[in-house]
Amino acid sequence: MAERALNCFWILLGIAAAIHAHGLGMFGPSGPESGLFPLIAGLLIAATGIYLLVGKTATTNPAWPRGPALWRVLGVVAGLTLLAGATQYVGFAVASAITMLVLLKSVERAGWIESLAITLAAVTVVMGLFGHLLGMPLPRGPWGW
Amino acid sequence: MDALAGLATGFGVILTPGNLYYCLLGSLIGTLVGVLPGVGPLAALALLMPMTFVLTPVAGMAMLASIFYGAMYGGSTTSILVNIPGEAASVVTCLDGHQLARQGRAGAALGIAALGSFFAGTLSLIALTLFAPALAAVAIRFGPPENFALMVLGLVCTLYMISGSTAKGVLMIALGFLAAAVGIDVVNGKERFTFDSIQLTAGIELLAVVIGLFGVSEILANVESQARSTLVANRIRGLWPTREDWRVSWRPILRGSGLGFLLGIVPGGGPVTASFMSYALERRIATQPERFGHGAMEGVAGPESANNAAVGGSMIPLLSLGIPGNAVTALLLGSLVIHGIQPGPLFMTQRPDLFWGVVASMYVGNVFLLLLNLPLVGIWVQLLRVPYRILFPLVLLLSVVGTYSANKNLFDLWVMLGFGIAGYLLRKLEYDLAPFVISFVLAPLLEQSLRQSLVMSPDGALILAQRPVTAGLLVVALVLAALMFRRPVRLGDN
Repeated sequence: MAERALNCFWILLGIAAAIHAHGLGMFGPSGPESGLFPLIAGLLIAATGIYLLVGKTATTNPAWPRGPALWRVLGVVAGLTLLAGATQYVGFAVASAITMLVLLKSVERAGWIESLAITLAAVTVVMGLFGHLLGMPLPRGPWGW
Repeated sequence: MDALAGLATGFGVILTPGNLYYCLLGSLIGTLVGVLPGVGPLAALALLMPMTFVLTPVAGMAMLASIFYGAMYGGSTTSILVNIPGEAASVVTCLDGHQLARQGRAGAALGIAALGSFFAGTLSLIALTLFAPALAAVAIRFGPPENFALMVLGLVCTLYMISGSTAKGVLMIALGFLAAAVGIDVVNGKERFTFDSIQLTAGIELLAVVIGLFGVSEILANVESQARSTLVANRIRGLWPTREDWRVSWRPILRGSGLGFLLGIVPGGGPVTASFMSYALERRIATQPERFGHGAMEGVAGPESANNAAVGGSMIPLLSLGIPGNAVTALLLGSLVIHGIQPGPLFMTQRPDLFWGVVASMYVGNVFLLLLNLPLVGIWVQLLRVPYRILFPLVLLLSVVGTYSANKNLFDLWVMLGFGIAGYLLRKLEYDLAPFVISFVLAPLLEQSLRQSLVMSPDGALILAQRPVTAGLLVVALVLAALMFRRPVRLGDN
């Protein structure tokens, strides 16, 4: 079912890309235009999507996560979403500390002391290595760090 | 003779304290990456690539290349001691290596793996030293049509080596082309697929794509399975193989070296395919094939030699033609481009210091790795005790920092997350992600070659048929493509 939906998505994506690419132009006075290459790519995606949809290429029983495994996967996705979304408001140090704490508590079910210790150590190492030793300007929060 | 003179230049470049330091650092990181399950060489290269932006190109490339082949050394340690491959090219080493460890012969298995890797790595470097300049000398006569045809042939060969469906491989290549088209067209300044988003005008960042596809998706797969490992041996003894171990291993090491080197050169090949092919070959020609899977030393010696030899082989198309044969060399190509260097036939004549410096660094790195993996194996064994619950949040933080550091743009974090989720789902549905990265890196070069070819010809696309080398390469690509869809089983299926 998931594979069929994905193949339909490929067909739609390929057609949409080809239409958009066609609008960019194919050939101009100075040779190939911006649309030629993406048009070929779009048509190839759509054609392969059709082939996969009608052909016997379905994956044999993909193992989707269920129960606790699904929650662990969703937990990591939620953690990364939080990190990507919160960094610009609270800075990298705070956002990553919160994310790590949430991941360790919810995904790995670690104890509070262990979670706090790992979080503190990991954030300190990453900030120290990249922020100070390598001089990389990591995003800062309103409090300046 | 030119090659030897070039190599001498390379050693002159690399044998400075600074360059040696980065070569050693890369070897250390590579071994670490190989030892720790869940962090592959590709993700590690992507994570550490921004660090090399502040280094000289020689130091940066020496470090990145040593991470690549260092991971091949380190991967065997985890396979033998824990029965979990440290990285993909060490999967088959689990079969016999772990059985040897259970029989109390972990030291000998680790010793053969490290020494075999060293010999194979050195042999493939000698071949690289001799072949790469010869190939570059031929390719220097190539124009845009020949380059275009060569890249098309490379992509078709890639499809031969992928795991899973060929059609899915074709789709990944086309998606890579499409993703690479996002942004401003450098030829005429037109925006493509940006949808008026200022964030997309610069295109999709390579590091965000690779870290997402190979770093984040790997973490998602690992937290899902929550693999638990058991270390078989706490202390490693008897690292030096016995006379009998050598007797059964020297031929597999030589065969693995040759096979690995050849499969490394072929686009789409590389360490993973080489190790599987070597194992299959050794089992097929063995007088007692039933020993395989129960602790046959040949099952460790062959594949471990092959995966290291493949690294040297895969550097040939990258350094002499500017064509990456696998996802890791695609990333190395991306790194060179970011440093403002265009690899290709002219690379060796324009930047001999860099070309030969990288080659020489691989000789030096091989020696470092032998020292790191034999006398210091005890340290790596202790690292295997680090639980994954500590490792994965740290890798996740490094993924975020690595992605952000490329452009200092938070939008790239969303790109990384999107590609991470997509990579996880696509792997579930048995899509091989390597063709996507290869085509993503090659697409701008391929498009440029095609456009230049069409502009320089009064007969349009007929130029591709009028030039003999171009036509020959395209015919080979067409024949291979036609054969592919008639073929029931691919090399990577087992």
